[in-house]
Amino acid sequence: MPRKRNRKEQMLAAAQYPLDWLEERSGLIGGVRYFLFRKVPGDSGWWHTLGSATLTAFLVQLGTGVILAMYYQPDPNSAYESVQHITNDVTLGWLVRGMHRWGASIFIILMFFHMARVFLFGAYKYPRELNWIVGALLLPTALLEGFSGYLLPYDQTAYWATVVGININGTAPFLGPFLASFLRGGAEIGPDTLARFYSLHMLLLPGAILGLIGLHLYLVVRLGVSSPPWSEEAAGRERDEPPPVPGTGLVNPAPRGVTKRPD
Amino acid sequence: MTSRRLEERRIAFQRYKDDVKREGKPFYPYAMFHDTVMSLVVVSVIVGLAFVWHYTDLLGPSLAAKADPGTTSFVPRPDWYFYFLFYLLRIFKWPNSVILGTVGIPTILLIVLIAMPFIDLRAERRLLRRPIAIVAAVLVALSMGVLTYKGATAKEPLGAELRAAVPGWVKQEKLPSNAVPGANLFATSGCLNCHTYLGSGGSQLGAPNLSAEGAKNKGITFQISHLKCPSCVNKGSPMPSFADFGEANLRKLATFLEASKGPK
Repeated sequence: MPRKRNRKEQMLAAAQYPLDWLEERSGLIGGVRYFLFRKVPGDSGWWHTLGSATLTAFLVQLGTGVILAMYYQPDPNSAYESVQHITNDVTLGWLVRGMHRWGASIFIILMFFHMARVFLFGAYKYPRELNWIVGALLLPTALLEGFSGYLLPYDQTAYWATVVGININGTAPFLGPFLASFLRGGAEIGPDTLARFYSLHMLLLPGAILGLIGLHLYLVVRLGVSSPPWSEEAAGRERDEPPPVPGTGLVNPAPRGVTKRPD
Repeated sequence: MTSRRLEERRIAFQRYKDDVKREGKPFYPYAMFHDTVMSLVVVSVIVGLAFVWHYTDLLGPSLAAKADPGTTSFVPRPDWYFYFLFYLLRIFKWPNSVILGTVGIPTILLIVLIAMPFIDLRAERRLLRRPIAIVAAVLVALSMGVLTYKGATAKEPLGAELRAAVPGWVKQEKLPSNAVPGANLFATSGCLNCHTYLGSGGSQLGAPNLSAEGAKNKGITFQISHLKCPSCVNKGSPMPSFADFGEANLRKLATFLEASKGPK
């Protein structure tokens, strides 16, 4: 019997070893444990899923976008045909393209819903101001991603909507004309425009969105999820009576995570 | 000295953290469960839309005709989530205040959005005690909804229908016979996707009403050079170039525009 238990322990240790190895060198396991088992307010519920739903929609865009990029040709002479090829010939190509096309809409809708939720809950208030700003920057970045992707099928709708869109950019004072000619890749819309939009849509903007989402999530985990403003639980509940006057550092120290400047 | 308000906020946040630590639930599995269900719903909806798009006509065509820079008929329609921005353009008069619609208002909205935490400095989070926030949220949601709806339902005029309106134009504007070829061209070349003329046209982008364009007496030469490169003549005009039409067609259009002195 002891020999059997010994083997079981050995197996457990063997299974654990790679995790321990990783943890010792990176602290990743501890990080994941912290992320998973951090406490959230007891009455956070469905309202709080809009952010992760937006993230899911973005991940769908990443996955389907990678597949589309395997077949798409960013060249005015073959772009339209390659999209037709994806839709008609490639196995389940219509599904991947459809998911990418409509995933974009869902991504934008969910982003607006998430923003409305944060606004109505007053969740952007101290100390979460910075996270609101990151989110507010994500919105135009995502809209630009939608704008740059709209040209890629290179059909009439895409082409002329982009012509007018770029021209509208050009009406901006100072930077407008430069921005418009940068987007066009010259004085007129041509082959360079499509390649430019493709590069922005595939590299710069998704990279920016990923970076901003990373920062967004880091701040969510660091500052915690705010409870609903109508919360009946202790956590985060609004109180009418003024909070007690702060004592000196030892009795009533400044909260962790907030640097206290010397008075 | 830290201000009293800052001190109060720090204490309130510390209390929140202590409360959550004491009474909160772990993210896994409780919140994770909600998130997972919601994510599955999101993916299902996206897959469902892809199916509906592929198997029905409800969501529009999979692809329009191939892009053709020399086309004579096009509909500059952005994706639906830009409708509210595009429709803003209708509210402003061309050409002087159009910049407010194209750049001004969106920029101001974005700045206000980013600066929100510094505009609303109160700690109060309960909705009923934030009347301004409620009103602002309702107004923004309502106006974006209305603008999106108007953009979505803006009619795209059909070339054939518009051509049928040309005899009416000739009658109402007392157009000379040499302006009729230009009128037909005008009706079928997509001009009315943005402009209006005697009540015809979609004016999705709020481009000016051209019924009395000729009353300005700008001259045929001006009209032709404007059609060739609108932004060269009218700085900041988002109208695309129609140089691909060819000199003869542009002259017809210009003749028609100059003859349009308004309904008589």
